[in-house]
This record gives sequence, C-alpha cells and structure tokens, in this order.
Amino acid sequence: MIFVMLKVMALGLWRDKGGLVLAFLLPPVVFIVFASVFAAGASGKLDLRAGVVDRTASADGRRLTAALSHQLGGRLATYPDQAALLAAIANERVDAGLILSGDLRHDPTPITVLIHPGRRAAGEVLTAQITAVAEKALPDMMTAREIVRLGPVLSLTERQRGRLNGAAAAAPAPPLVARRVLGGGDPIVVYYAGAVSILFLLFSAMQGAMILIEERRGGMRLRLGLSAGGVAPLMAGRMLWLVGLGIAQAFVLFAVAMVVYRIPLMESLGPWLVTAVCAASAAAGIALLVAAACRTREQAHAVGTFVVLILAAVGGSMAPRFLMPAPLQALGWLTPHAWVIEAYQTVLWRRVVNLQALEAWLVLASFGGVGFGLALALESRRKL
Amino acid sequence: MPCPLCRPSDLTAEAKIVLSVQGASRRYGERMALRDVSLQVQAGEVYALIGRNGAGKSTLAKAALGALTLDGGAVRVLDQDPARAAAVRRFIGVAPQEIALYGHMTVAENLAAFATLAGMRGPHAAAIQDAMAETACAGRASQRIDQLSGGWRRRANLAAAIVHGPRLLVLDEPSEGLDAETRAIYRRMVGRLRARGTAILLISHDTDDVTSLADRVGILNAGRLVAEGPPGAMVREAFGTRKELSVRLQTRSEAAARLLTQIGLSPRDGDLDWEGLIADAANRALEIERALLDLDVVIRELTVRPPGLNALIAWAADASPP
Repeated sequence: MIFVMLKVMALGLWRDKGGLVLAFLLPPVVFIVFASVFAAGASGKLDLRAGVVDRTASADGRRLTAALSHQLGGRLATYPDQAALLAAIANERVDAGLILSGDLRHDPTPITVLIHPGRRAAGEVLTAQITAVAEKALPDMMTAREIVRLGPVLSLTERQRGRLNGAAAAAPAPPLVARRVLGGGDPIVVYYAGAVSILFLLFSAMQGAMILIEERRGGMRLRLGLSAGGVAPLMAGRMLWLVGLGIAQAFVLFAVAMVVYRIPLMESLGPWLVTAVCAASAAAGIALLVAAACRTREQAHAVGTFVVLILAAVGGSMAPRFLMPAPLQALGWLTPHAWVIEAYQTVLWRRVVNLQALEAWLVLASFGGVGFGLALALESRRKL
Repeated sequence: MPCPLCRPSDLTAEAKIVLSVQGASRRYGERMALRDVSLQVQAGEVYALIGRNGAGKSTLAKAALGALTLDGGAVRVLDQDPARAAAVRRFIGVAPQEIALYGHMTVAENLAAFATLAGMRGPHAAAIQDAMAETACAGRASQRIDQLSGGWRRRANLAAAIVHGPRLLVLDEPSEGLDAETRAIYRRMVGRLRARGTAILLISHDTDDVTSLADRVGILNAGRLVAEGPPGAMVREAFGTRKELSVRLQTRSEAAARLLTQIGLSPRDGDLDWEGLIADAANRALEIERALLDLDVVIRELTVRPPGLNALIAWAADASPP
C-alpha cells in the first residue's frame, strides 16, 4: 500500500512537466544566482565601479589613477569635475568616487572619497584599495609623504631627504600584513546550497502534500477509506515519496554546486546523504502537517506560502544568517533552515561529523517525525 | 463459528446477510440524520435507499462503509464492524457520486492502485481485465482519466468499485449523468453482480433505475426508515387500485381550481399543474375533461398513470411527518 501511494505521487510529478521544472531545474538556477552574488562578496570580488576627478594634473596623480584603474579591472571612469562625479554617483553609474585635489606628496589629505549613502561598503573598499595601490605602485610617493611628516621632527637636511627618497624607490617597504585564505572551499557556496535546497524542498513538499486535500474531494476519501491498511500506510507512502523527492532535488542542486563551485560532495557523500535525508524528512513532515491541518486547497496554499516564506526569511535562506541581528539569528534556530545550513556546512566545508552535525540531524529528524505524527493523527481523526 | 472473511465462499445461512444495520442513529448538531434505522441486505440482493434530499441516505451509506461513527446502534458487514475491522473493508466496494479516481493516471493504473489498496495480493491483471470488461471501458485502459469524457469516467469509476470483487457494493447515484449506452452497461453490470451473489446498496433519485433494479426498497424520511419492501408490492399496498392523475391547464381559473380540489387533486408549481391519486381514474378523467370544457378551461395535458416511487416517497413523507 505504501508503494501504491508512492507510485500515485511519482506518476503525478512525472506527468506534470511544470512540477518537474519547479522541482529540479529552478533550485539550481536560484542557487547559482545566490551563490554568485554572495560568494563574490565574500571573496572580495565586488566588481566595484569607481569614478575619479584629478585636479592635480601631476605625474603622481596620473600614476595613481592608472594603478587604481588596473586594480579595478578598468572600471574607473574619469570625470572633468566634482559635479559630474557627484551626478554619476547619484545616478548609480559608479558605486563610489575619488577626487585628487592636492599635492599628493606634501598635502596632509589630498584625496577625498565620495560615498553613496546606500553603498557605504563600496566606499570602504575603494578607500582600502587606494591605500593598497599607493603603497604598492607609488612607494616613492608614500615615502616622500613620511619624510614630509617626520622631517621637521627629525631635523633632516635636504641631502638626507634626497637620500631617503632614493632609498625608498630602490627598496620599497614590505607589506605589514600578509594574507592567507584558509582551505576547504567557499563556505558561502555551501551555505547557499543548503539554504536554497531547504527552501525548494519545502516548496515541493507543500505542492506534493496537496494531494491530501485533493483526496478529500469527490468521494475519493470514501474509496481510500476502504483501503485494507487504513490511513497509516497511505500517509507513510506520501511521506516516503516526499522524502525521496527531497533527496533527489538536493542531489541535483549539490551536483551543480560540485561542478560549478567544486564543493567536495563526493568526498563527504555519506554525511551529505544523512543530512539530505534529515532535511527532506523535515520538509515532508512540515508540509504534510500543513496539508492535514487545512480544510481547503486555497487555505493550504495560503498557509503553505506563509510558512515557506517566513521560515526561509528567518532561517537564512534569503539573506546570510551572519548578517542578521543577534535576536533574529537566535530565532532562526527554531526553523529547519538554520539546522540544514549548519549541517551542510559542517559536513561539506568543515568536513567533519561532530556533535554539531549530530545535533542538526537530530533536530531535523524531529521536525520530520513530529510533523508526520501530527499529520497522521489529524488525518485519522478527520471525519466525513 | 467459521470466519466469513477467511472463507468467503463457505457462507452459512447467517452470513448471507451481508449488511446489517441495527438501530442506527446519527446526529449532526441539532439535526438527526439517522433515527433508529434498521435494515438488512442479503447476498445477491439489490436494496435501494430512496427519499428526499437530506433524508439520511448518504449518511447511512457512509455508515455502511465504516466511514462514519454512529451515535447509536450498529452496522455489521459480514458480521464485522467496518469502522473497526479493517479486514472486512476489503469486501466492500463503493462507486461515489463524484468521480473518485486519480486524474493523472490511466484507467488501468487506477484499477491496479485501488485493487492493491483494497488488499488484493498477487498480479491483478485478470481482475482489472474483468472489471474493465464488465463496465465496457477496456478500450480506454491506457488513457488518463483527466483526458476521458464524462461517460467513460463514470464507467471507470464503476470499474474501480468492483475490481477487487467486493461482497457489498455501495452505489451512490450511479446513473446520474449517464448516457443511454453507459446506463445500459451499468444496469447489466448490476444484474450480473447480483447473480454472482454481490449485495448491492443502491442510493438513487432515479426511480426508473430503482424500479427496474431493486429487489427491495427502503424509504428514508427525515432520518427514519418509514417503509421497506419490494417496490411493486409497496406501491400496490400503498395505493391499491388508485392511479396518478395529472392535469395541466392552459390558463388559470378559479372555477377550475375549485373543481380540481373537490375531486382530490392538489396544485403543483403554481395553479396550472394539478395532480393526485384517485380511484377509478380512467372514468374520472373523462368526467374531469367534460367538466373543465364546460367551464371553458383549455386543458393542455391530462394523463393517467400507475403511481410510481415518487408518489410512494411523497406518500411516505405525508404518512410519517418528522
């Protein structure tokens, strides 16, 4: 009987081309969009567009502008005056701008960075890049600025100043900071693979669970009520199908992540599978509970959409949890989404099966078990 | 005592009673849907439940299927409570009024699914072929239900009710929306199932169907079983030699209304149509015709016919007010 219900639901999806696209094509596409946006941000590749006004008309100004343009991959536009640059920022043709307005070697603060109020991060990045570019490409200019600053204190003679300038040009200062990106791939890619997978698992499960409501119509419930095994095997069949569908959906999405972003799926296939089963169970349990609790398809659709979107927003499927305020992050642990993300990051990025992973699996399985149990109780008690 | 479920072919005399309802009562809020209803349906018998809308027919059918908890009384199918004993439900089939099939599956896939759900083990191919042959829908075996016309869906709906060889078949308004060909197929099917010993509980508003198919009729009125018996005998017992006489007038006339009321006819849907049961109807019809002509009233139609089940339902309702 369980397998009859499995077959009924499988044929339902197989013969619904729109449902197939929703289940298997849309999630990887959405994942790639999210991952490309947030992974690029996390890796520092912001594709920043900047504008510059060079009032100095000096060799240092031209050198700095050229080096910065090279650093930004050519996305540095030159404007004739401040008004034009401000207009470009206001119209969002550039994310931030800089004005070279004084002697770069002698003035205390010769560069002003103009920042769009809605893109402060872009201003911070541009400021940091100007400093980095100046240290790397114009060491003589930077040393000259130090000499100008410290010269009066050290009572340097003109000859000493000249020798220091020459030494700086010959032996640029080593960078103060060395950077080392830790191994293990990009956690934000794993984050979004998990976040998008649970979002669509829940969507598909809600769609699949609607069969509960369809079967209450048109005398079908009378006919199904005569099934020899009663309600439990029918519900078990539906649950099993939704879990299987969820695992297949997650596999397709993570396979795309493996190919595009080199997520180590095959190296951690076992723990990944356990996580996928637990995540699919959680989605199936919640979806069956919503369908069992609702009386009509319209009601289930409204409640289902509300549940899917609220859980996704709070649980971190829409925006990274680490960007959320602390109370919202704490609230997120009440959703399966946060646990799914946590579990996938643990097994695929940290590449361990530890207490964190076990805890996440247990919580997700509980979502599934409790949801299924309550749905079964509601369906069994539902009278004609 | 032998278990009828374990050896369904070895029925004892008692087990010939397939459906037994004893003192069934059911309340929906303030309304009593069933009041102390008792009836029995034997193997090879077609028992038709008739009555006006809201009389309790569907409630009784649901109780027979074990889909409803009674407030009082008991329902037994093959001597077991279908609401509690899951095993007995495999011997019950139902063709609900609405199409109860999966639209995205073919006729054959639906039949296979419902055969398995009914507890049939092993390959079902022969049973599916039999059910499709019985309902003449084999020609659409591999077509999806949602791509079939209404008549073919009805046939498939009937096939799904009998695919597992039920001992009790509940048919809820089975002839509604049937074309003439499908209606004939359905009637033949009922006849053959009866001959094979299937007990059939038929719920229908179609008095032609009930008259031609039912061995016994139970009339429900406001939840109470007010009359029961073979349809012909019940009509004879209720009306004797009286006939149903109906008159349709061209125009309204107070004098005609007085005359028809005096004779014993009652107005129906306004005061142009009149009907009633009267003795010696053939002679009285001629008298009525002459009297109305004397009053210059034009008669559009005047018919005399033997009373049928509709008259019986009305008679039963009048004889036993709620």
